[in-house]
This record gives sequence, C-alpha cells and structure tokens, in this order.
Amino acid sequence: MSLWKNIRRHRLAYLLILPTAVVMATIVFYPLIRGVLISFTNMNQYNMGSRFVPASYRFVGLNNYLRVLASREFWDIFIQTIIWTVTNVFFHFTIGLGLALLLNRRLKGRAVYRTLLLVPWAVPTYISAFSWRWLFNSKYGFFNLALKALGADPIPWLSHEIWAMVAVIATNVWLGFPFMMVVLLGGLQSIPKEMYEASEVDGCGPLRQFRSITLPLLKPVALTATLLGIIWTFNMFNVIYLVTEGGPHHQTDILATFAFIEAFHQWRFGIATTYAVIILSILLSFSFFYIRALRGSEEIY
Amino acid sequence: MKQIILLAFALALLLTSCGGKEEKAEGPTVLKFWHTMNQEETITLDGLVETFMAEHPEITIDAQVVPFSDAQNKFKTVAQAGDAPDVFRAEIAWTPEFAELGFLTPLDTLVSPEDQRDYLPGALRYNQYKGRLWGVPQVTDCLALLYNKRLLQKAGVEPPATMNDLVLTAKKLTNPGQGRYGFFWRGDSYWLTPFIWAFGGGLIDEADGEIHINDPGSVQALEFYIALRDEYGVVPPEVDFANDYENMLVGFKTGKYAMIFNGPWATADILAGEQFADPGNLGVTRIPQGPAGYGSPVGGHNYVISSSCRNVPAAYQFINYLNRAEHQAELARRNNLLPTRKSAYELDGVADNAIIQGYRHQLEVANNRPVIPEGGLIFVDFTPNLQAALNGKMTAQEALDATAKAWEQLLER
Repeated sequence: MSLWKNIRRHRLAYLLILPTAVVMATIVFYPLIRGVLISFTNMNQYNMGSRFVPASYRFVGLNNYLRVLASREFWDIFIQTIIWTVTNVFFHFTIGLGLALLLNRRLKGRAVYRTLLLVPWAVPTYISAFSWRWLFNSKYGFFNLALKALGADPIPWLSHEIWAMVAVIATNVWLGFPFMMVVLLGGLQSIPKEMYEASEVDGCGPLRQFRSITLPLLKPVALTATLLGIIWTFNMFNVIYLVTEGGPHHQTDILATFAFIEAFHQWRFGIATTYAVIILSILLSFSFFYIRALRGSEEIY
Repeated sequence: MKQIILLAFALALLLTSCGGKEEKAEGPTVLKFWHTMNQEETITLDGLVETFMAEHPEITIDAQVVPFSDAQNKFKTVAQAGDAPDVFRAEIAWTPEFAELGFLTPLDTLVSPEDQRDYLPGALRYNQYKGRLWGVPQVTDCLALLYNKRLLQKAGVEPPATMNDLVLTAKKLTNPGQGRYGFFWRGDSYWLTPFIWAFGGGLIDEADGEIHINDPGSVQALEFYIALRDEYGVVPPEVDFANDYENMLVGFKTGKYAMIFNGPWATADILAGEQFADPGNLGVTRIPQGPAGYGSPVGGHNYVISSSCRNVPAAYQFINYLNRAEHQAELARRNNLLPTRKSAYELDGVADNAIIQGYRHQLEVANNRPVIPEGGLIFVDFTPNLQAALNGKMTAQEALDATAKAWEQLLER
C-alpha cells in the first residue's frame, strides 16, 4: 500500500502524530542533517557569515574526516575513551547490582539507605567534581593526608597519566552507580515472587535462583540500563573537564572533551560536526550490535 | 493551567517590548552595557553608572553582569545576529577576534590624542588591530614577583634581580625537610611566558605570523624552568596540575613558599593570609631579568563599542566617563585593579599604594601577547605540552616543537 493511501485511511492517527513529527523534524532531524552537511565544509567563525560579513565557507569533501582520523592523537584518545567507558560501566553495573540486591531484601531502614545512596546522583555534578578534585589534591587532599598518616608515600593523583585516569574514573563511578542501582532495583521488584517460591519447592539454593531466575529476568532492564550507561559515559564531558581538564597532557581526555578543545574554542564548525558525526556513528553501530547480541533475552518471558 | 496563562502573558509582554525597540531611536538613548566584573567590582562600577546617568539624563545605561566564562561566546552569538550590547567589557584577547569578525566599531577618531598618550602603551596595544583602534583599555594586569619580605629578611637576602639570583636566593629559602621552598612554579604555560621572554624566546610574531615558541631561547627557558626543580631543587618536587594555583596561594599565604609569580587579581586573597596580616610584608617587584632582559605577560580588559550600536558618540562618552583617571583610581583603591592611565597612578590612594606601584614598575617592562584573533587560544595547546615536559614525557625541545605544530594549525584559517 502506498504511503498516501495509508495516510488517507488512518487520517486521524496521522493527524495526531503530526505535532510530534513536526517538532522532531525541526529540532532533531533538521539539525542532524545540517550538522552532517557542515562536516563536509570548512565552516568556522570567520567564514560562516553574519549580518556584517557574507558567508564564504566552501565544500571540502572528506578532508575533515581524513584530518581527524589520520591524527595519532585521535586514536590515543579513542582508546582512552574505550577504557574510560568500559571501566566505568563495569563498576556502575556491579556496584549498582550489588546494592540493588541488598536493598531488595527486607532490611531495617531500607528507605533511609535507599535515599542516602541516591545522594551522589542528586548533588550537582560540578559540586561533586570540584570536591573530588580537592580530595585528590596532592598536598592538602584527603587521600594523600590519609596515606601520609599511614606512613605511605603520597600519590600524584591528578598529574600522573595512570593515577589521573584512576581518579576521574573513581569520581565518575561514585557519581554514576545510583542510577544503575535504582533501575536494577526496579527490575528486581518486577520479578514475580511466585518464581522464587516455586524454585524453592523444587529445591533450588539462592545461588541457583540468582543464576536461573534473577539474572535472566533482569536482562531486559540491564540491557537498556547498560546501553544508556555506555552512551552517557562515552559522552560524559563534565567530570573530566572539571576534575583534570583532560590533563596531564591529554591523558585523561575522551573524545567528547577533546573535540570540545579542538573545535569549540574557535567555533570551527566543520571540525566540530565531524567529531559529532564520528561519535554518533560509533555509538549507533555499537548500540546496533549490542542490542542484537543480547536480544535473545526477550524470549524468556 | 495557571502557569501556562502566566507564561503566555509574559511572552506577550516580551514580544511587545521587543517590537517597541525600533521606535526608540528618536527619544532618550538607552545603552546596553555588558560587563564581567566580580561582585565587589560591580558595586564600585554601579556607583559610577549611577553618577553618569545623573549627569546625563538623556542617556540611560542598562548594565548587565555576564559570567566571564560565558561572555565571549554569548557576545559572539548575539553579535552574529546583529543584536550585540552597545558597550562591552572585552578581555584583551577577544578584542582582535571581535574586530576581525566585524562586531566592533573603530574608535580612532573618538579617542583624543591626549588620551591615547595617557594610556599605558602595553594596555593600549591590545586595542590596535589592522591599523585601527577598536577599544580603550579599562584595566591592565601582569605577572610580577611576589615575595614574603620577612622570610627574605630572615635569610638575609634581597629579592633576586636576575635569573641566576633567583636560583641562589631561592636556594637559601629552601628547606625540603620542612616543606619550605624558595619558589613555586605552575604547570600552566601562562606562568612560563616570563621565562620565555627573559631567555630571548618568543610566542608568535603578529607582523609575519612566524612562530617563535620553539626558538633556542624558548627551549632554554623551558629547560631552566625544569632545572629549577630537577637540578636546583628550589620548587616542590611533586606536581599537581589541576590544583597548583590553589596550592601555590595556600603555600605562599602560610609562608611555605617564599616567592611566587602572580597578578593583581590575587591581592585581596593573599592579604587575607596569615603571613600578610600586615600588608607591608607583601613585596611586589619585577620578575628577575634573564640573558635577554625582562619578561611578563600583560593582560586586562578593554571597553569596546559594538558595530550594532546606534549612538556611538553617547557610548564613547559613557566609557570615557568610566575610564576617567579618578574613576580608575577608585577601582584601584577599592578593588586592587591596575589603572590603564598613567595619570591615575599619581592620584591619592594609588600613588602611595606599594603593591599597585610594584605592579606598575613591572608593567614598564612587560610584554604584549600577540594581538591576533587567536591570541586567547595559544595557551590551550601550550599547557598540555608543558605538562608533558614537566612529567618527563617529552624533552623541552619536543614539547615546544609540538606546541609550534599545534599553533600552525591554529593560525590557518
């Protein structure tokens, strides 16, 4: 059936989605397409034109892409981004799952714990980021003062390539686990109690219950939560920018922070959109394969 | 529902007020003025704005504070649409950029020759781009050598006059066992620039666009910087790039570090420290001379008039009023801001202020950063490379070569 016939038959339905479609087209699809087009030009603040100066940017084909992908820095930072994302989401998930399992049991003061555990999430990022930066201060920070009290050598937290990565990841793990915890707790609570009762009758121990009931039934929720977590962490700009500014020497930069320095300080829209398109393609293709690989789970219900 | 109605009303009001703007040209002049001063400075400034409006009832000033970190992009965004504020307080590095983008009105004919002579040349220089004058300097600053007089006296030393003296003096003030160091440097390239000039290196030659950051003099400067820690041991061995500005101030205020480089913006903070309960204990003098002379980066802010301003004479009258010597002196007395007029330094409360005069002494031999649209961005690529050199990841030569390469990319438009 042609689209037009379809529209005529379901006139009301199409009328009802029209506002959404218009909004999506103007605030999502139009900027997206325009962004992709700009990535093939050399547009920057000097040639983009304004009320006073006519536009003079031109089409440069794949030059921006070649320039970005050919630089060694890009690949170094790409690897840092992968390390950053995988480590963060791993800890978010394991810590979040552990706490969710604890909170899913009947224990005294559960509501209090639950609220307290949400604190990292509720505090504005820049406040916690600055606090962590101070905790990592080599001279006056809590960690080094504690190390000193224990008689150990201080650690150059934010100035050493590996320790700086450890520091920003620790900060982001602290900030990010509550989200995982809340989502997984929701998932746990939606698992029917009868399943556990039935399995108990069948003689299953708690470990077997966890493996055969909890994990498979949590999979759809976990899939969505980790996918969101990966996308957010991949693009997490604030924490790195506020704690280390990508330093020392770009060794804690990820693509999002690096692109910001490269592109936005001077309104180099051509390069900026190139980075945006590259990041978008990475995340899109990843999500596609990730969902495919883990899709089997939906058949369990 | 109530909120929606209120919102609709607010929008309607907003729209009508926008529509009315066009007709205002005939009546009294309203000048929109954006600035980035901090809270304390704004109090002084608001007072000046009030008295200006009292003296000129035909002009109304609509002054707004814009956070410094957003101001550059915010101004560019509105100027792009032709709706910039009439008067803006622009950081020195933004001025040539805005001029290049066509967002500013040139002021060559408005600034009188007497005024041009009265402004400090280094501060005025940042307003000159492509042979025209695009603003007037509002405030200036530079890095100078700050020292703890009592500590130097106790060690029986004078503030150092040359880079060799810096090492010798700092050595006498250093006692690693007690965590005391004669000097402190930062992993921030702005703090390296005095050495670069003192050793005969350079940044970018604005006339021909040539890059001098990897010249032999610049390399020598960075090698000396590193040697202060690795060879002479007069700066703390551990680095903390993300926190070193705060650590430098805390160490200086508590008497751990005897000498640092810093600018007038830090005066109030430093005087709040235990070592400087008596402000007379804070010494401000020139950064030591190197083989090629003195070096210190001039900074500051300018008043500019946007190209969308429809009453340029009134706008200039306003900034010229704010910039009168006695008004600059008031900002100096109350807010430690360095005046840009030579005559302001002779006025009461400024002439007898040893700290301000110390900075003025340094300003006489300070250097301009390249006055090019990219001038504000050179440190973005420079600092990471400096950190790599300080961490031993690169040699001085490699770090500065990498910086030069990044700057080549920056300068291609």
